[in-house]
Amino acid sequence: MIKALVVDDEPRARAELISLLAGADDIEILGECANAIEAIGAINRLSPAVVFLDIQMPMISGLEMLAMLDPARMPRIVFLTAYDDYAVQAFEEHAFDYLLKPTDPARLAKTLDRLRKDAAPQAVDVLGASARLRHIPCTGLNSIILMRLDEIEYVASRAGGVFIVGLDGEERFTELTLRTLEEKTPLFRCHRQHLVNTERIKEIRFVENGLAEVRTVGGRTVPVSRHYLGALMACLGID
Amino acid sequence: MVVGSLNLTISLLEQTCVYLVIAHLLSRTRLFIPVMHVTIRLPHKVACYLIFSIFCIMGTYFGLKLDDSIANTRAIGAVLGGLLGGPSVGFAVGLTGGLHRYSLGGSTDLACAISTVTEGLIGGFVHRYLIKRGKIDLLFQPVRVAMVTFVAEVVQMAIILLVAKPFAVALHVVESVAIPMWIANTVGAGLFMRILLDRRVMVEKQSSVFSAKALKIAARAEGVLRSGFNEENSTRVARIIYEETGVGAVAITDRDKLLAFIGIGDDHHLIGTPITSELTQQAIANNQVMYADGNEVAYHCSISPQCRLGASLVIPLQGEGQQVIGTVKLYEPRTKLFSTINRTLGEGIARLLSTQILAGRYEQQMHRYEEQRQLLAQSEIKLLQAQVNPHFLFNALNTLSSVIRTEPELARQLVLNLSTFFRKNLKRPSDEACLADEIEHVNAYLQIELTRFTGRLSVDINVPEALGQVRLPTFSLQPIVENAIKHGTSRMIGDGRVTISSWCDQGDLLLSVEDNAGLYDSRPAGDGLGMNLVDRRIKNRYGRRYGLDVACGPNRFTRVTLRVPLEGRAA
Repeated sequence: MIKALVVDDEPRARAELISLLAGADDIEILGECANAIEAIGAINRLSPAVVFLDIQMPMISGLEMLAMLDPARMPRIVFLTAYDDYAVQAFEEHAFDYLLKPTDPARLAKTLDRLRKDAAPQAVDVLGASARLRHIPCTGLNSIILMRLDEIEYVASRAGGVFIVGLDGEERFTELTLRTLEEKTPLFRCHRQHLVNTERIKEIRFVENGLAEVRTVGGRTVPVSRHYLGALMACLGID
Repeated sequence: MVVGSLNLTISLLEQTCVYLVIAHLLSRTRLFIPVMHVTIRLPHKVACYLIFSIFCIMGTYFGLKLDDSIANTRAIGAVLGGLLGGPSVGFAVGLTGGLHRYSLGGSTDLACAISTVTEGLIGGFVHRYLIKRGKIDLLFQPVRVAMVTFVAEVVQMAIILLVAKPFAVALHVVESVAIPMWIANTVGAGLFMRILLDRRVMVEKQSSVFSAKALKIAARAEGVLRSGFNEENSTRVARIIYEETGVGAVAITDRDKLLAFIGIGDDHHLIGTPITSELTQQAIANNQVMYADGNEVAYHCSISPQCRLGASLVIPLQGEGQQVIGTVKLYEPRTKLFSTINRTLGEGIARLLSTQILAGRYEQQMHRYEEQRQLLAQSEIKLLQAQVNPHFLFNALNTLSSVIRTEPELARQLVLNLSTFFRKNLKRPSDEACLADEIEHVNAYLQIELTRFTGRLSVDINVPEALGQVRLPTFSLQPIVENAIKHGTSRMIGDGRVTISSWCDQGDLLLSVEDNAGLYDSRPAGDGLGMNLVDRRIKNRYGRRYGLDVACGPNRFTRVTLRVPLEGRAA
């Protein structure tokens, strides 16, 4: 069975694709998402093999979303588009699969055939997905907030998920993994469960056992583990 | 002795009169122009020398022979030459006149020669003295000139007494000629200067008359030809020239035919007839002013042998790149001479008119450009109208494809909405529509979007039915509503809402489209072409106070308000 996720901001477009996919016995629809934020969380949680991904979506487009995925858990992507010359050209060039909306069932059958032979993820860098992130999407109570990097003091990963701590001291949940943030932003890994914005470090305090603590400009404390201390010092230019 | 002296004085004054008449006549010629002003330029000095040398010699010839001496008015030439030309000219004139006198012989020949040179120098030094003091005007005062001449004559008599031998003869000569010569030369020199002054005043008066005429014509003809180089405007200009210059007749032609004719001979010089005059054809072909004065260059009317016009001046009118676009023609009847003023004026007028025509053509081009721009805006709108956003189209079709399966009734609705939308897009007979039509168009569009974004979008239309018949440019509302969705609600993750309202305000119709995304300020630059076009078109049509107004509260709302006059077309 090929596990698939459908991501599109239009409910009827999702319904249409799911209905078309229903004809194939070996495709299992894990779920559907209405925007990129939902999709990142779903991909992290459900680890689909294939994501049918709409390009035009609110706030974060399908292409932008790729950069926010954990590279280690990158699924195979089949793009969906109603009309986009440039993107289609890029897909053709880099041998990515894509479907035009409305979708011809025969064309979909071909795509599925290809997936059955090779569902290995492709390197999405060529589509600009390796680009560094300028914003981190955070989920608020009723909204999505795109946080700029200079608004972040540090990032903490806990049992409940990854939380971004802003200059205002507020903790915001994000679907992005710590690893994605480490790789796609200048936030610095100082601890197994923490990233820190080096621009916001005010002092480093050494505690016993070679452990240390960072105090941020905002007066908050972030632990530094022995393993990362040297690198952090080097990063800050301290011997 | 006294009687003899008196007789001689009168005779010498008579001679002086003849001398002055010649001076007067010559003063009317161009010869005299250099001597009318104090000059330092060499050619003028040479001219000054030549003229006064002639007068100097003439003074000797017009003198009265007395025994072996001559009572003369030579001093006038020498002193005036010095006064107007400076010491060098004075010396040269005196020397020339003196040598001439010397060549005639007599007991006072040498004395007269020396005294003439001295007189020239006296004039010259007075000249230099006054110039240095900056009192040039005093040079031209007849009384002052007379006084200088009198002094010079007194000196001359002294020189004769000193130089001529024997002294008894010299004394006799001086006794008999001194008083007549003093009187004749003093009066003569003063009058000579008076003649020069009169002539100068006349020239200045002429040029001021000239300037006044030119200015008047320029003022009256201002702008007439700007609105086009045609018969009507040409006739107006021709009449102005005719009235102001007082010439016999005025004509204006283009390259082929007569555009205007005013004055003598208008019975056969008919407007609209092709050019037959060779003179005019030459003027056009060679881009050259042509002048037939009727004497040296014969002039005959090319149309009628009975024509009373006897002289013609043809001046080409030039357009872009000096190209001839027509001519202005001035005529005088056979009974009248062409005044120089009018000839010069004619050329000035032609230049003035050429400039006007050029300016006019330029303006027309600007006007045409403006019209084309409006047409372009019109066609841009048409293009925009025909160019349905492909995203919208394919997504709509995809939605249709989906609902056909699940909700056939909704699918049927969708098809109807799509056809209404496209019908309105494709076929608009006029470029104005009533608000109800526009709302219908927009509503079809919104219904499709509502189906696409089921659950994520809501739409509210508050347009009073009473306003349904208000007219506005077609396709004004659609781009605004499309923007509200494309750059507004469709970019929100939460629920989008679009509200369309309409109301009246001070004789205007106001239409507002508001979304709750508030992303107008953060939309990419260069977007919103459709809205710009709508705004431009409304402003072009109704004036600057109409058009679109955008208010944006970031992340809260974007409100676009459209204002058009309620009563159709504004002034």
